[in-house]
Formats: sequence, structure tokens, C-alpha cells
Amino acid sequence: MATLAAGPDTAAEGIVARNLTRTFHTAVRRPGFAGALRSLVDPLRVEKTAVRDVSFSVERGRLLALLGPNGAGKSTTIKMLTGILTPTSGEARVAGVVPYRERERNARNIGAVFGQRTQLWWDLPARESFAVLRDVYGVPQAEHRARLAEFDSLLELSEFWDTRVRHLSLGQRVRCDLAAALLHDPPVVFLDEPTIGMDVVVKEQVRGFLRHQVERRGRTVLLTTHDMTEVARLAERVVLINHGRIVLDGSLEEIRGRFGGTWQVHATLDPAELEGAPPPGIRVVRREGPRVVFGPDGSGGPGGSGGAAPPTVHRALRAIVERYRVTDLALEENDLEDVMRAAYLRREERPVRDAAEDGAVADGAAADGAAGDGAAPAAGRSA
Amino acid sequence: MAAPARAPHRPWRTAWITPRGELLSPPRLTATALRLTVQVFLVVFLWRGLYAQTDGAVAGLDREQAVAYAVLAVLALRIRELDRHSGRDTVQQHLHHGTIVYWFLRPVAPRRYHALRALGDQLYGFAWVVAGYLLCRSAGVLPPPASAEAGAAFLAGVVLGQLVLYRVMLLVDLLCFWTLRDGAALRIVQFAQNLLSGAFAPLWFFPGWFRTMSDFLPFQATLNTPLSLYIGRIPPSEAPHALLVQAVWAVGLAVLTRWLWHRAALRVVSQGG
Repeated sequence: MATLAAGPDTAAEGIVARNLTRTFHTAVRRPGFAGALRSLVDPLRVEKTAVRDVSFSVERGRLLALLGPNGAGKSTTIKMLTGILTPTSGEARVAGVVPYRERERNARNIGAVFGQRTQLWWDLPARESFAVLRDVYGVPQAEHRARLAEFDSLLELSEFWDTRVRHLSLGQRVRCDLAAALLHDPPVVFLDEPTIGMDVVVKEQVRGFLRHQVERRGRTVLLTTHDMTEVARLAERVVLINHGRIVLDGSLEEIRGRFGGTWQVHATLDPAELEGAPPPGIRVVRREGPRVVFGPDGSGGPGGSGGAAPPTVHRALRAIVERYRVTDLALEENDLEDVMRAAYLRREERPVRDAAEDGAVADGAAADGAAGDGAAPAAGRSA
Repeated sequence: MAAPARAPHRPWRTAWITPRGELLSPPRLTATALRLTVQVFLVVFLWRGLYAQTDGAVAGLDREQAVAYAVLAVLALRIRELDRHSGRDTVQQHLHHGTIVYWFLRPVAPRRYHALRALGDQLYGFAWVVAGYLLCRSAGVLPPPASAEAGAAFLAGVVLGQLVLYRVMLLVDLLCFWTLRDGAALRIVQFAQNLLSGAFAPLWFFPGWFRTMSDFLPFQATLNTPLSLYIGRIPPSEAPHALLVQAVWAVGLAVLTRWLWHRAALRVVSQGG
């Protein structure tokens, strides 16, 4: 779990989430006709913790990718950071403001795009929507014009901004939404799958726009996406979330090192070397004459039975070259999508401290007759 | 970034959104004009036809009063029948598509934004009413108010009636936060609104128990009260009481909807993971 490395100055300008937890309560229908009748008078309440103890920070002028499979808790986290949802526990600060306590002040500091959900008015031309937002946020006319010109140069909006939003293509509409979200010059931007459904040309244009906003305008961006190309091209740092918990907070290299251990090295060895044992953490996957395929030793690292983590592909290459006399060498490495798939699917081993805390929570919950484990729904009756 | 110098905050500009969308759609304007003309034409002939079968007043209304009431009701309905649905701009649609989140991300409280949009819609609808009224007056379909006092009371009644109408429709919108899809509730309320406000027929024609029941509901305050003031069915001497009842409904519903807004904001459902 990440700890807050940010000092007070960073916290005042970027994003800080500390132990954010959000629990939802919903009524579920019991099975059968009798169950349905009983549910009417005595509803069965189900508690589900969508996000649990999420902590991370993003410094000003940085882009962080918040990744995770569907239903992992990414959008819930963003909704707490934007002030739409109030956390059940924990705290958040965005540009120095507690978003769910000071919604209006927070609104001036942030911009947001939620995938294909548009904030533009369907019956108005996009440029008229921009003008309405200018007045809502109180942006001076000259500033508004200059910013529109800047966005137009990056996103080519003027080709279609006089078209009514209902007639825009998805790519055109999302570009307009990006512009709408940044027209009031917010220091912090939340983007929830902004390029979903776009073609590759528009995606690249949007990526260029986002890079510009981070590098040239110093905006802090929190991005969620399932597009690994986008992650590879934009993200300096990644927070991986699954089942409402943070699994990893680090660079792409760290993720590759931890979850991308399915590389293979195809080597042709000197015949005299064939009997030697492979270096530590590396095993022989198969052998055909002098051609040997090496892979990570499955006994160590995440998901393994113990021991040290397998070496990264770069370390493995060095170890193999140092250990053997190699006449030919080829590398087969998973791409980022494979790495993320492995990360999503692998059951994250949980630190002893966390497991002990969960036990205490579960014990307390049993005594109360209410909650259970964070990720799993826990049923109980409540008013 | 985040420049300290700001232009005046002008959230009232959002009131212009629906009228502007309408003005950009000439077919909608034509359809509205055509529909109003046909409806006015039909109700005039309907009520004149009905009164041709009787001598004198029915339920305290003579022929001219009944026709005037029906024509004004047709015009007044225009105020609340703006087509926000085709613009994907109803609260129900925003909740369904998840775009309601943007209401909570702007420096205007959702409650205020909703009220400003409704104000714009109602003023735009009122422009249609005024145009229709002047045309009907010049065509001799509508008589002037029963008296100057009745005219003044009518204007006050229209304003209060619109306040009550806004709160009633807001209640339905807020219901969406609990039900997500409120199509059935909306249809029920619209039917009740039409029936109990006097849009289908003047409430004076309904039996006593029906009028007693409607006394305990807010709907007649939206339409029946101002129209009855206009045609003189409620005499100026009783106008203060009728206006007071409208005001009480407006205030009571305002308190209720304010509380519900607070509760609704806590219920913004998390869409997706």
C-alpha cells in the first residue's frame, strides 16, 4: 500500500487520498414469490465496500494512471475525489480542498470527463455550450477566447464546434468535452476512460492534448483507462486497484517486474554448456538440441510458493549471457496488456499486517452482526 | 492557471439553454404553432357545441366563461410541455445516462441549476402564451378579464401557479434519485395534474366530493385558481383567500423539495466501477 509521501505543499496543489473507503448499502430481493413479499416489508440490506483504504497522492503537474479491471473501484475513487461521493471513511484533498465538503470551491479547481458521458447540451452547438460554461465559471471573455484558440490548435475543434452536439461523432464530442472540462483552467483534471470508443487517430490527438496539458500547463491529471497503449505513452506512474484495494503503486517498470514474469529467452548454446544448471530464478522451459528456452522460475515471486521474485527479463538476459556461451539469442516478452491481464488475474498476496486487521474487522463485524470482508458483499438487516 | 481575476459569475445564462435549442429547431416551432392552433380551434368548437345543448350557465359558468377557461388552459399547458426529452436533458435521462454527475461538478448548486433551467423554460413558454393570448383576443375567442381586479388577481395567480407547478414537477424529478426510472410516476403525476388542475375540463363541472378532494392537493393551484380568477368564477372578493392557498402550497412544496434535494445529493449513485 502506498504511503503519503507528499508534503503539505504538494498536498495543497495536487491530489491526496488517505485511507479512502466507500461502502454502499442496497436492498436485494429474496428469491421466490414469498421472498419478494417478505422483501417488501422487511428488505434485506446488503453492504458492499467498493473502495477500501485507498491511499495515494499525485504531485502537481504529474499524470497518474489509475488502472484496474471493471468493477475494481476506479470510478468510485474518482467520484470521491471530485466530491460527487462522500467517503464512508478516510479523507481526500484536491488542490488543497476537501472535495466533498466544499463542492462549489472544488468545482472551480477541477475538470472532469467521464468516458462517453457528455456534459454538453445536446441541442446546442458545442461553441454555445462553451459559452454557457464560460458564464457559469465566470471566465473573462479574452481568457475564454485565448483558451479556445489553444484547444482548437490541439484538437481541431473549429471544424465542428458550430455543429449541434447531437450531430457530432463520438470522437468530435469527446474532444469538445475535453475542452469543456478545461475551459475554466482547472489545476486538477479527472479523466475516466476519455478515449473509449475512439479511433486511433483521434486517440493520438487526445494523448497529445493531455501531454500538453501536463507538461506545458502543469495540470495534475488522474486518468483511468483500459487502453494500455495510452498508459505506456502517457503515464509516468501507475496505481493498480482491484477489489477496491490498491495492489500496486509504482512505475510501469515495477509493474512489469512484478506481474510481467512470463518472458521467455530463446538461446542457442555452445554444446559444451548444455549440462550446466540455469542461473537462480530461471528455469529451462524446453530444450531441442542446442536450442534452449529459458523462463522465470515459477517457485518464487508473486503467486509462487516462496523464495525471491524471478528476475526481470533484462537481468535474466545478463545472467544467461554470463552463465553460458551463447551463439544466438532471442527475447519474447509479454506486452503491457499481457502484464496487466496477469496483474488483474493474479491474487495479490496480502501483507500479514493487513490480514490481521481484516481479521479484527471481521471479528468486530461478527459481534455487531453487520459487516464482513471489504471486497465481498456482506448481508445483514439494517434500518 | 486558475487565474484569480474572474469575470462576473453568470449562472442565469443556463436559463437560456432550452429556448435556444428550440429556436435552433424551426420544425419544433412550426409544430408547436400548429398544435396550439388546432387545440384552440377544437376546444372552442367543443365547448360552444356543448353549451348549444343547454340554456344559460352550467356549474356557475356561462358559455363565454367556459370557452375562455378552456382556451386559456390550452395555452397555459404550453408552459410546461417543452420537449426536453429529445434533447436528452430531463433529470430522468441524466440519471439514466450518468451525466447527472456534471451537475455536481459545477460551481452552481444542482438545486439552483434546476431552478434556473425551469425559469428559462417557463419564461419561454410564457412568450408562447402571450402570443397565443393576443391572437385569441384579436380573433374574438377570448374575452378580457372579468374586471380590472380580476385581471390583477389573475396575474398574481399565474405567477403563484407557476411556482406551485415547478415544485410539483420538481418532486417528480427528485423521485428519480430513488427510483432511477420514474416513467410510471411521471405519467401518473401528469394525468393527475391535468385532471385535478382543470386542464381537461374546468373543476367546477366535477362533483362536490371531487372538488373537496382536490382542495387537499396542490394541482388546482397551478391552473384552476388563476383561470377562475380571470373569468370571474372566483370573484375578486375571494381572490385573497385563493392566492393565499396558492402561496401556502408554494412555500410548503419549496420546503419539502429543498429537503429532498439535500437527500438526493447523498444518493448520487456510483455508475460503474
